[in-house]
Amino acid sequence: MTALLAVEDLTFTDVKTQGWFKRPEKFNLGPINFSINAGETLAIIGDNGSGKSLLAKLLVGAEKPSGGTILLNGQKLHYNNIKQRCLNIRMVFQHSNESLNPSITLGSIIEEPLKLNTDLEPEAREEKVKQTLSQVGLMPEHRFFYRHMLSDGQRQRIGLARALVLDPQIIVADEPFAALDPSVRSQTVNLIMKLQRELGLGFIFISHNLGIVRHVSDRTLIMQDGMAIETGKTDVIFNWPKNEYTQKLVNAYQTMVNA
Amino acid sequence: MPLLDIKNLTLEIDAAGGWIKALDMVNLTIDSGEIRALVGESGSGKSLIVKAIVGAIPEHWRIRADRMTWKGRDLLTMSVAERRIIMRNDIAVVFQDPINSLDPSASLGQQLMESIPNQLLEKGWIWNRNQQRRQIATKLLHKVGIREAELCLRSYPHEIADDICQKFMIATALVSAPRLLIADDPTRGMEITTKTQILKLMTQLNKTRDLSILFVSHDLLAISSMADTMTVLYCGQTVESGKMTQLRKRPLHPYTKALLDSAPSFRKDLPPKSTLTSLNGSIPTFQHLPIGCRLGPRCPRAQKECVKVPNVRRIHEHYYSCHFPLHRDQQ
Repeated sequence: MTALLAVEDLTFTDVKTQGWFKRPEKFNLGPINFSINAGETLAIIGDNGSGKSLLAKLLVGAEKPSGGTILLNGQKLHYNNIKQRCLNIRMVFQHSNESLNPSITLGSIIEEPLKLNTDLEPEAREEKVKQTLSQVGLMPEHRFFYRHMLSDGQRQRIGLARALVLDPQIIVADEPFAALDPSVRSQTVNLIMKLQRELGLGFIFISHNLGIVRHVSDRTLIMQDGMAIETGKTDVIFNWPKNEYTQKLVNAYQTMVNA
Repeated sequence: MPLLDIKNLTLEIDAAGGWIKALDMVNLTIDSGEIRALVGESGSGKSLIVKAIVGAIPEHWRIRADRMTWKGRDLLTMSVAERRIIMRNDIAVVFQDPINSLDPSASLGQQLMESIPNQLLEKGWIWNRNQQRRQIATKLLHKVGIREAELCLRSYPHEIADDICQKFMIATALVSAPRLLIADDPTRGMEITTKTQILKLMTQLNKTRDLSILFVSHDLLAISSMADTMTVLYCGQTVESGKMTQLRKRPLHPYTKALLDSAPSFRKDLPPKSTLTSLNGSIPTFQHLPIGCRLGPRCPRAQKECVKVPNVRRIHEHYYSCHFPLHRDQQ
């Protein structure tokens, strides 16, 4: 069985020049290898500046990788083939508030990807928007609302609806739960798990919250300084961490839980 | 006698539609040497309580309390000068978002040394003052666990890492050797390793200097690992307060239970990928607060009586305000 998404030797090099005399700053990412199957969840954890968000951007095609391949269902994803990527890999952003346009209705925000990527008629688009809204637990009438009328949790749902409207196979989320309050957070976690069960989505998310990582994800990828230092089943990583840094993380988490 | 004793604190804010009770009958006590956690979601008025204690409330807001005392002295009726002396010597606050609460145009050394009052300096010639200040500053930074103190004092706020910045804020707060440290969401957005460092530092300060800490946060994992007692706040109402261990083992208010359930780390028996229990709906905004018990519309146990504000009841040290607490079922 071919994996839904396979990443092989993905690398990225970023060179920042700082004036004429300073040595340019280099950031190397990778090589990174992992694969997920349909219906699986991959969590990415690591320090600030370890390249987690960069990896997410590479996956959705916001940055151009310098080497390696991304295979979707065994098919190679080209950086320039935006249509193929947009239809299959979608992203949910960390700041749900800032990522929504305040001056247009939520309906048009969700409709935008349909306009750009499909040949649907306006009526069919509206129908699809309604359907997606109810899928994420909002009312069809919410499409006439504006961003400021919603609460944090609802905005996160809109972000999710925008990702889901093209029926993607994979959703990449950059800290989707970080800005949410505990009671709303568990609602969102439940929603994502429900959608995953129903639609067989592959879900890749970045998080600091090890409790949620442990609960939600099947596999975990730990990053440090641009390198994937450990990857494997979540259960195995939390019980028998191999790498020194992973051990530190897991120990810190366990002491807090058991205190 | 408790250090800080607040009973029935009510704070009213004037909004477009009249006066809104942002805080409604809030009770809070802090004993000396105690770490008290104040838990609540965003918009629950945690930061307002902090501001009310410090006295940073705009003058036209109405603030009332049956009792709001610091070591037996009433904070609300005392003069501004007296209150300022208490704030200077006894209470220190670490505000939310450390990087933004520092002055970006001055070096950290300048900011820290500025906050050292003249009384703390030994008698010496006036030209020795700066050196003494620098010594005190370095000592403080070492105390909170910043190794390269000199480098830190020379840098500007944007040049240092998040966790160092948080430690620096704690150092600034410790200048006057306060009795109470109020930390407003000190672990927000931190990774777990730096978070444990900050928490360790606070517990250590609590033990070695007999410092009481009011720990304001919604990170239950961090709270439960260090706090002795906890007060839970929802939309400006205190719903439950008591010993941390007791609350974790047997919450009486439905909201506390929902909060605890929302953190999957607390439940080891929970199978992975199972549905988490959560409350429906979202936190009401200040303009649309429900009457009576403010959890009412979201509460799974709500009944007709919930449109009245429940009285505070107690079982030993455990206070709760709910008409239908969770232990009623078992009887």
